[in-house]
Amino acid sequence: MGRWIYALLIGLVGAGIAHIAIILLIPYFSERDSWALVSEVGPPYAVHRLDRNGPAAKAVAAADPMFEVAACRFDLRDGSVHIFSAGSVPYWSLSIFDRRGQNVFSLNDRTATGGVLDVVVASPVQLIELRKAMPANYENAVFVESDIGEGMIILRSFVPDPSWRQIVDRHLAAARCETGAG
Amino acid sequence: MLRDALTILLSSVIAVGGGAASAWYALESAEGVGALTVRGWTAYPDAGSPQADPYSKARVAREADLPLGRAEGISFSTARDSGGEPLRRQCSYRIEGEVPSARFWTVHVAAANAADGAPDGRAAALSSLALLREADSSVVVVASRHPAPGNWLALDGQGAMRLVLTLYDTPVASNEDIAETELPQVLRIGCDG
Repeated sequence: MGRWIYALLIGLVGAGIAHIAIILLIPYFSERDSWALVSEVGPPYAVHRLDRNGPAAKAVAAADPMFEVAACRFDLRDGSVHIFSAGSVPYWSLSIFDRRGQNVFSLNDRTATGGVLDVVVASPVQLIELRKAMPANYENAVFVESDIGEGMIILRSFVPDPSWRQIVDRHLAAARCETGAG
Repeated sequence: MLRDALTILLSSVIAVGGGAASAWYALESAEGVGALTVRGWTAYPDAGSPQADPYSKARVAREADLPLGRAEGISFSTARDSGGEPLRRQCSYRIEGEVPSARFWTVHVAAANAADGAPDGRAAALSSLALLREADSSVVVVASRHPAPGNWLALDGQGAMRLVLTLYDTPVASNEDIAETELPQVLRIGCDG
């Protein structure tokens, strides 16, 4: 009898360890995380719309239906990344996610000069290089310092009513996401 | 010998099975660790950030979610009305009260389980930029299957639902005292059968 109780206790302690291990390891071993879904939509260094019935549907399932979501994957080891689009839309916001799907930085259009989408993400070393010789097309950009290696920019754009849809669509279609100097 | 093997087997089964089941339960239950409930509305202010607790991180990875950052906004969701009853699509609700300061906010109807995703077509949604306001600039929204005067949030279908209130560009998201926030009440008007 005693040995069964002993086995039960060992089992419960083991269950606790397994529980903690599973919870901590899910972000590292999840094969269907947001990064994987966004990778299916298209190659890096391009702004892809995340449609609600596209391959990344699960990633935007919980998103606000009044918003359009787009993504651009990048790797800071290739150099800094520059996302920009001319024109103005009612509201946009942007977050930078790392490879593990963590939101490491976010900003909205009030941060940008004149509300224009023009953001550069660079590692600290690349920023030092950029300050020495600023490329002409970086002059009005908002600089975001981040040391994440691979990551993705998630851009959200507000569509207040259907009459704005065309403007928002055009703004997203014109958005460029390029690896640049540094 | 056989008894030793059986004891080890029992311990292993309890350890692996119990560990997996409890981890699954912790991630499935709607109001997990890291949830903050204010006046019936639930928010995950830290979700997705590197400061989040391990349960939120696991949930975000598993659901492949892209949570809003603090500079973007914060979203509150509720699956119950102010009387504590589950929200149902065949009922009519009156959403009224204070909404915290934000550049704008939206309210939309979502599937009962966050992982189920949006139902067919565009979900019913309203934004604060296109609402009729009362004399004291407060807002009353009626969520119903039947057209309603004023601000109508159109429902359709049957079964459970959630209401999601999202505040954009708001000091609430970066405020430590989110629990002090005033949020609207969801009052049930009546149900169709």
